[in-house]
Amino acid sequence: MKWRDMNPLEWREFINHEVCVTACDEQRFEGSVFTVDPVSASVVLVTFQETGRASVRVILGHAVRAVQILRSGSEEMERRMKGLILPDTTPSLCPEELQSRRENLRLWLERNRFPVTEDGQDLSVASVLTISAPYRPEDCSCTNEIILARVQSLVQNQPYRATTPDDIT
Amino acid sequence: MTLKPPVGVQRLPRGPDPNSRGFDRSSPRFIALCPTSIPSSASTDPDIEEEQRVRSELRERFLRTLLMMTDKPVQFNMYEKVQVPARFGASDIDILNFQVSDLETPLGVQKEALLRCQDVISCSFEL
Repeated sequence: MKWRDMNPLEWREFINHEVCVTACDEQRFEGSVFTVDPVSASVVLVTFQETGRASVRVILGHAVRAVQILRSGSEEMERRMKGLILPDTTPSLCPEELQSRRENLRLWLERNRFPVTEDGQDLSVASVLTISAPYRPEDCSCTNEIILARVQSLVQNQPYRATTPDDIT
Repeated sequence: MTLKPPVGVQRLPRGPDPNSRGFDRSSPRFIALCPTSIPSSASTDPDIEEEQRVRSELRERFLRTLLMMTDKPVQFNMYEKVQVPARFGASDIDILNFQVSDLETPLGVQKEALLRCQDVISCSFEL
């Protein structure tokens, strides 16, 4: 089956495993699969060198001729690759700190005329934007770019000390 | 990367395309390359939600890889055994073109350049 014609569930089967990708011009590349782009079918391979540095190779989907699994991936490899490329998803803050940050941010947004409600651990802004822990600009998600940019810059400019709605601007 | 003086922008002879040598979005070549729809299971298939979730996860990982590549020296491995280093700038949404800076070619260092992904086999960088 042609590589490009596979569906995401089939590509997912290759993630974390060590593979050999045969590309055009008779080239072969080995490494652990970090991902396969569903738009271009491009394969991202990672190899860790003895120096500790990682070498990342993106093989464009149109050039992939065959992908062969050589060895099963390990949890260690998965963890290392994720740590390399994905942002730190586990906040290192304790619940009280997170609570205080969430509250401070909520007050700051309200002061700036944004309706905010708490939705479990997240903050829901105007029902269209969500801010998850630890409530940094990069933790904002929204389908509207303009609102996203506006709220992100607000979060970025949040004053350090706790604010209350009674503070005089 | 060592600093090499850039060469002036080269105007190469016009290729077979009437416009922009393959970058013109209305050209038959671009339309043929650019997928207008993504194949997926039928919407009645119970797996469609899982498929979409996996599609998003795979795409996010890929976008983050491109983010990590930004402003880094990257080696582009192209057809005819051409290997050119450059500083990666950005990609377009369909992964059809890469914007790069300080592209070291046999003609000299091109300060800014657009690479067609169809011409690239792979690219690699270090983290």
